[in-house]
Amino acid sequence: MTESNETILSLQHLQKTFGQHQVLRDISLNIKKGEIATIIGPSGGGKSTTLRCINLLEEPTAGEIHFHGENVLEQNYNRNIYRAKVGMVFQQFDLFENKNVLANCMVGQELVLKRSKDEARKIALANLEKVGMEQYINARPSQLSGGQQQRVAIARAISMDPEILLFDEPTSALDPEMVGEVLSVMKNLATTGLTMIIVTHEMAFAKEISDKMFFISDGVIAEQGNPDQLFNHPQNEKTAKFLSNFQNN
Amino acid sequence: MKSRNKWITALITVMLSFIITSNFGITQVDAKKDDGELKVAMEANYQPYNWTQTTDKNGAVPIEGSRTYANGYDVKIAKIIGKQLHRKVVVVKTEWDGLLPALTSGKADLIIAGMSPTAERAKAINFTKPYRNSTFVVITKVNSKYANAKTLNDFKGAKLTAQQGTSHYALIKQLKGAKRQPAMRDFAAMRQSLISGTIDGYIAEDTESTSFKMVDPDIKAIPISKMAGFRISKEDSTTAIGIAKPNKDLLKQVNQVLATIPNSERTKLMTTAISQQPKTDETSKKGKQDPWLVSVWKQFGGMILSGIGMTLLLASVGTIAGFFIGLFVGIIRTIPTPTSRGKRWFSKFINWLLSVYIEVFRGTPMMVQAAVIYYGIAQFWHINIDRTLAALVIVSINTGAYLAEIIRGGIISTPEGQFEAASALGMTHNQRMWHIILPQAIKNCLPSITNEFIVNIKDTSVLSIISVSELFFVGTTIASQTFKFFPTYLTISAIYLILTFTITRIFNLIEKHLQGNKNYNLMANQVQVGTAQDMEAKK
Ligand SMILES: Nc1ncnc2c1ncn2[C@@H]1O[C@H](COP(=O)(O)OP(=O)(O)OP(=O)(O)O)[C@@H](O)[C@H]1O
Ligand SMILES: [Mg+2]
Repeated sequence: MTESNETILSLQHLQKTFGQHQVLRDISLNIKKGEIATIIGPSGGGKSTTLRCINLLEEPTAGEIHFHGENVLEQNYNRNIYRAKVGMVFQQFDLFENKNVLANCMVGQELVLKRSKDEARKIALANLEKVGMEQYINARPSQLSGGQQQRVAIARAISMDPEILLFDEPTSALDPEMVGEVLSVMKNLATTGLTMIIVTHEMAFAKEISDKMFFISDGVIAEQGNPDQLFNHPQNEKTAKFLSNFQNN
Repeated sequence: MKSRNKWITALITVMLSFIITSNFGITQVDAKKDDGELKVAMEANYQPYNWTQTTDKNGAVPIEGSRTYANGYDVKIAKIIGKQLHRKVVVVKTEWDGLLPALTSGKADLIIAGMSPTAERAKAINFTKPYRNSTFVVITKVNSKYANAKTLNDFKGAKLTAQQGTSHYALIKQLKGAKRQPAMRDFAAMRQSLISGTIDGYIAEDTESTSFKMVDPDIKAIPISKMAGFRISKEDSTTAIGIAKPNKDLLKQVNQVLATIPNSERTKLMTTAISQQPKTDETSKKGKQDPWLVSVWKQFGGMILSGIGMTLLLASVGTIAGFFIGLFVGIIRTIPTPTSRGKRWFSKFINWLLSVYIEVFRGTPMMVQAAVIYYGIAQFWHINIDRTLAALVIVSINTGAYLAEIIRGGIISTPEGQFEAASALGMTHNQRMWHIILPQAIKNCLPSITNEFIVNIKDTSVLSIISVSELFFVGTTIASQTFKFFPTYLTISAIYLILTFTITRIFNLIEKHLQGNKNYNLMANQVQVGTAQDMEAKK
């Protein structure tokens, strides 16, 4: 959990509307290099939408996204390079079904980063080893358990050497006994200095790992602060009520 | 003489008459080929007027684009004309419904095909003076209870038929009380039905009865032309030669030649033709009595093999080319709409164009497409495409239209997460498509592509309209020559079944291969692929 003072990502008054439905009203947040940020909040509050806007899977309706001080929503900003630098791990893993484990971790490096096959392979193997999946390089995604798939998905994402890694409820789709293996991989990653933004319902995990937490409800950041502030001294009624559901954690 | 009142493919007629009546001035067809060939269109499947044989004996003339020959009364007449005009006769073998288009599009100079000069046809083409007059008979079995009919009323209760689309069929109405059965496609079918007893008789020309008697003495022909009350127009009872309207000189020349052939000579030619027509049955009775399949194989084996080859060529080239067309169209139709205005208009236009293509080719029968493209192009632009090439193009375009939608469906139904995961890695639209989405979409479409292949093997049979000699066309030729309707088509079916069965198996294997290994090997030790530093780190 190293921290510097350089703000690497900043959202400014982000809004997102689907048809008539305004899902994000006003989201502003800053992430510093090396920070571990978690986003929590009630279902439907707009957590996923926020992450998807950061990665440009959704086009924000209004507001700005600054990456190293540059607005990525500008017309001639190279979005593909940006996306390569902002990795994402999905709830449903979304490994490429037509490729085996190793190829999943290589294809992005070769196509987007233009790395040579050998280099891509070396990096992929090193990262698969980090997540404990180096034995499965020949397996197809459908032949793996959920926990294993998610670990491969993490290896795929970090093989791109991202500056920020986004996680959207990475353990929600997993059977309980597999949650631990994925969380421990993430904890290990957190120690490497990688900047991470994590949407999660695992409160104990969030409390342990976060430098900063955001509570998003009804499309606004209702409260933010370090884990101690949110868990022990919530200022907002909604935060308190939401977290009381997790007291026994 | 055959005089079909209405066309089987009404659409072709409509199109044709449209082309002809709307004086575009480009229907001028230069039928006078400089190479001195006289191209004569006929079915080569209508004994004794014309038929196909595998050798050039008895003065048969070559059939264009094949290694077979045509002979018969029409061919003999054609040769007399060719001789006097100093032009070499070449037969353009064409389905009945393709005869007029062949003439008006300039693919043939003359139609000599036992055709009657009906008023309707005379609107589209010119006819010479008749080259044969003929009488009508009801053909029945010797032991039939109608065998001794003397008047038109004696056929009360008889189940009668005639060839589909001919004026013969309308004549049944004049036989009071006869039960008119559905018309049949060709004489082979009618003979088979008569022998098997599903009909009591059929109306045909006297020549048909003569040739039928040669293979089956147990039939009887009852002349009806002279029975009291029988009415028939002159144009229905004569046969004439068709010539394209602009070709006035040729019309004059042919009429002059016909005038030099006296009636006695014509009768002699017909008698000779009847005696020369192929008779598989008789020869096999005289000889060692080969089993039917063996004798057919000896006579037509080469034709069957080349028919199978043609069918496979059409189906596989059509499916493969159609696959690439479909892939291309499917990809274009799934490109996300661009944000800039000009590009959006352009992409909308392209999408509209492609959906027109898909609708048109999925919404019309391939048979009609074939006729329109093959004859239409020749008619309007005077471009004479090779018929095999035309067939390949038609099957490909047609398959492309179907596969475009199938592949688009495959692309759309690939889970959204696959697109998103690829986008999140920073891949461009093209990279996502080629490396992630299409491999999955194609794999998922493979059963439909197999299906399309199978359909193509069967459906290319409709290309007989432009006389491509694929398997079914060959089958028709054999059936009408051996008069073994049932066994021939049974054999042809069996061949189709073997082809489709084999191809299904092959594709199943490919599918299985694409599924990949059921099992994977655990990599016991990856250290050897790690770097020295990795090893360091581990310690
Ligand atoms: N593509 C879309 N079209 C329309 N509405 C959408 C779309 N995506 C999300 N929404 C709506 O936006 C709202 C916020 O959704 P979002 O997925 O961001 O919630 P969330 O906070 O991640 O919830 P959860 O904890 O259940 O994952 C929801 O009401 C959802 O129905
Ligand atoms: Mg969510």
